[in-house]
Amino acid sequence: MAKKIKGPQIILANRLDDGRAVFFTPKQNWSYQASDAWLAIDEAAQQQAMEAAMKSDADNTVIGIEFIGASDSENGPVPTHAKHIIQNTGPTVRLDLGYQAEGAGA
Amino acid sequence: MYAYDKYDHAIVSARVAEFRDQVERRLSGALSEEEFRPLRLMNGLYLQLHAYMLRVAIPYGTLNSVQMKRLAHIARRYDKGYAHFTTRQNVQYNWPKLVEAPDILQELAEVEMHAIQTSGNCIRNTTTDQFAGATNEELEDPRPYAELIRQWSSFHPEFAFLPRKFKIAITAADKDRAAIRWHDIGLVLKQDAASNLGFEVVVGGGMGRTPVIGKTIRDFLPKDDLLSYLEAILRVYNAAGRRDNKYKARIKILVEETGVDIFTKQVEDEWTRTRNDGIDFPAEEEARIRAHFTPPPLEVLPAWSDLETISAKDPKFSSWLRNNTDSHKVSGHRIVTISLKPHGGIPGDATADQMDLVAELADSYSQSEIRVSHEQNLILPHVAERDLPALYKILNEAGLGTPNAGLLTDIIACPGLDYCALANARSIPITQAITNRFNDIQRLEDIGELKIKISGCINSCGHHHAGHIGILGVDRKGEELFQIMLGGSGDADASKGILLGRGFPADQIVGAIETVVGVYMDAREEGELFLHAVRRLGTQPFKEALYGNA
Ligand code: SF4
Repeated sequence: MAKKIKGPQIILANRLDDGRAVFFTPKQNWSYQASDAWLAIDEAAQQQAMEAAMKSDADNTVIGIEFIGASDSENGPVPTHAKHIIQNTGPTVRLDLGYQAEGAGA
Repeated sequence: MYAYDKYDHAIVSARVAEFRDQVERRLSGALSEEEFRPLRLMNGLYLQLHAYMLRVAIPYGTLNSVQMKRLAHIARRYDKGYAHFTTRQNVQYNWPKLVEAPDILQELAEVEMHAIQTSGNCIRNTTTDQFAGATNEELEDPRPYAELIRQWSSFHPEFAFLPRKFKIAITAADKDRAAIRWHDIGLVLKQDAASNLGFEVVVGGGMGRTPVIGKTIRDFLPKDDLLSYLEAILRVYNAAGRRDNKYKARIKILVEETGVDIFTKQVEDEWTRTRNDGIDFPAEEEARIRAHFTPPPLEVLPAWSDLETISAKDPKFSSWLRNNTDSHKVSGHRIVTISLKPHGGIPGDATADQMDLVAELADSYSQSEIRVSHEQNLILPHVAERDLPALYKILNEAGLGTPNAGLLTDIIACPGLDYCALANARSIPITQAITNRFNDIQRLEDIGELKIKISGCINSCGHHHAGHIGILGVDRKGEELFQIMLGGSGDADASKGILLGRGFPADQIVGAIETVVGVYMDAREEGELFLHAVRRLGTQPFKEALYGNA
């Protein structure tokens, strides 16, 4: 659940049926790509995003909803921490697995 | 090996049906994640960075070829075509879907396997010497005792919610291949002066953030008293072990805080009170279990004279023969270690095709038996010497012939940050960088026995505290750093590694290992192994070489 961290944040969860890492988007759905995520800069935006994410969880599709640190880039938000970058892409030692292997549209 | 009776089948099948119902209720929303999480963990299903992870128990690391083929089939049908053999002699799948987990458990149950008690604060899979039942160094096969422990501890109602997880290891050989002294309980089969068999009982070993070498609380426990004595230890721990702080909840902390003498007295008192309560198995039940471990009908053969000639002509085969085969209790046979450590590869990973191949080779050459070692390799325990050249050729062609068992590149590494939700740093790329650098077998053989063990966090699944060179990944403000420790050992003369100093960034770790190896090579005495040199020299020369005199 929500964890207090500083700075801009995005919301990460795991999909219930297969455990895949997914990110909450401004369209109020879940995407495999952190770059689609809703980057919530200040506390008010974070609260709003989390409320929306929790509401979307009412249909029981994701687990472990949490904020993670992120920064903005020209391609959209990027997780700050190596762990979340790896979650977003896949194992760095198996480039044939995870989102990195599937490309856009996965 | 042990074969399920009707009770084993009924218990495991019932558990699959129960879990199927639980998964359905979770997917329908009838169970919340909070309610479901402990239930999935009881069935070995974790949630990791990219997906669920299913940990399957391989009791005391023993598999038959049918089971291995089923594991390969599961990897192919339900996962991504590979599996990971772990330091607990178990196997893990990294990508199972929740909805398919009951089907996987069903497939496992059909071949007498399960994932029960591979998670949670209960007694986990008992581990043992991967050469058990084959080595000429043991008093007798320890696996019947491991099976007794499995039966006693499976669904033991009193020990389902211990203060923390609990790991037991057992060996019957002087050479400790099971890291006995690093377990909550370690058992060493021994003979007393009158040649009776019994156990040295070691308690309170463990890794994690507080590494402790286990202490002997009984020099000799008659073998028939094993279960009642284990029960007494578990009772003392269950009652007095700390539940207020999970970092202080393992039995090692209880033993340290209580003092080993008082702890031992508490166990002995409890045992005196309960030892006649019928906890130890009746002799007929023990005999029934033991009958499953009758040694295979191997033909006693003279040493195969062609082996030396063939070996002399083929240096690669010669290295493999030297490093990856060990003496067998039946003349004319060898124990073969199949390295799951190809240089540049991922320690412990095997593809479904490789697993199928190993199963076929077990059928052809090893009485259909396979073992998993805590060092993350596979073993064919009963191979005739005359079959070794053919076996090596097939293994080599399949990427399974790396002749590095026991050498520097036979690295234990946990999954680390590439998979594990608890990780601080990546273990696998560090392993790959080291094995890519040290990929010359002649050089490796010259360096000699050197065990590197790498963990991606302080939980120590990669046994770094017990590495001759231990490497621990830490996170310093978002940067992955790797600390080096020296002088650890999981062998009979177990020792904790000593931290050398500040951590190195990933791109400097190979150079640091080169430096450490260089100091050893310069300073070693004739025939002196790395570990012995570190013990003789202390850590100072290595520190100076790595950090200078500052
Ligand atoms: S040591 Fe840490 S990073 Fe490695 S597998 Fe264990 S918990 Fe995960």
